[in-house]
Amino acid sequence: MRGDSAMVARNCPHHVPRAASEGTDNVVSDPAVNRPDEGTEPDARFTMANERTFLAWARTSLALVVGGLAVAQLLPPFPRVPWGRSAIATPLILLGAILPVLSYLEWRANQRALRLGAPLGRTQLPKVLAATITVIALLAGAVDLYSRVASR
Amino acid sequence: MTEPGADAGEPSEDMEAGDPALARERTELAWTRSSLAFLGVGAAILKSRPAIGITVLAIGMVVWLLGRVSPRPGPAGSLGARRVLVVTVAVTGLGLCALVLTLATSSRGLRP
Repeated sequence: MRGDSAMVARNCPHHVPRAASEGTDNVVSDPAVNRPDEGTEPDARFTMANERTFLAWARTSLALVVGGLAVAQLLPPFPRVPWGRSAIATPLILLGAILPVLSYLEWRANQRALRLGAPLGRTQLPKVLAATITVIALLAGAVDLYSRVASR
Repeated sequence: MTEPGADAGEPSEDMEAGDPALARERTELAWTRSSLAFLGVGAAILKSRPAIGITVLAIGMVVWLLGRVSPRPGPAGSLGARRVLVVTVAVTGLGLCALVLTLATSSRGLRP
């Protein structure tokens, strides 16, 4: 899917050439700096799809933060495991705080790739999300099990 | 790649193909969903933490307004980059607030 859109972006006939007047303020041409006006304006559809992907990540992050808050504030404490709730909640909230930054960086990289007609980079975010959620779920199960066994 | 919403009868066919109404609408709906997520979180927090709740509600309204602004083609990184950055800062800030809150209450809970 991503590869497809990258390919389309590269061959897209809708790239409009940059206006000549925009080139005048590019006094500093440091390759390390991501100049936002580098390359050509991509097809608006790709720009909007990129933005929607970012927004989906932002909502995912919000859900993680809210889930963590709910565990920390609403869940009754685990018997015999006083640290149980915060042990589950903290990584959830931490992930929810880090993900928006990562997805913003990815949005920026994708936008840059679209402008340059380069292929989109491989995203690592789903892997990070899946791995962390799996670990947290296993941790939650372990805490619950330990609490039940210890309080019997 | 032809969208059903792309009006083939338009004289400016290129412009329409590069900026179809459906993609714009999907994007606007995505912004609406995101703003509703913020409003929901704000409403949920409102009772226990009124200050944070009202702030999150306000952010939700700002996000809704940002979604109304249609992105115009031009030097990217202008409005598009800024409104994306607003959401990033808002979610990260809320996450950090939640983190502080959780750590503070858990340490208080451990002490007695």
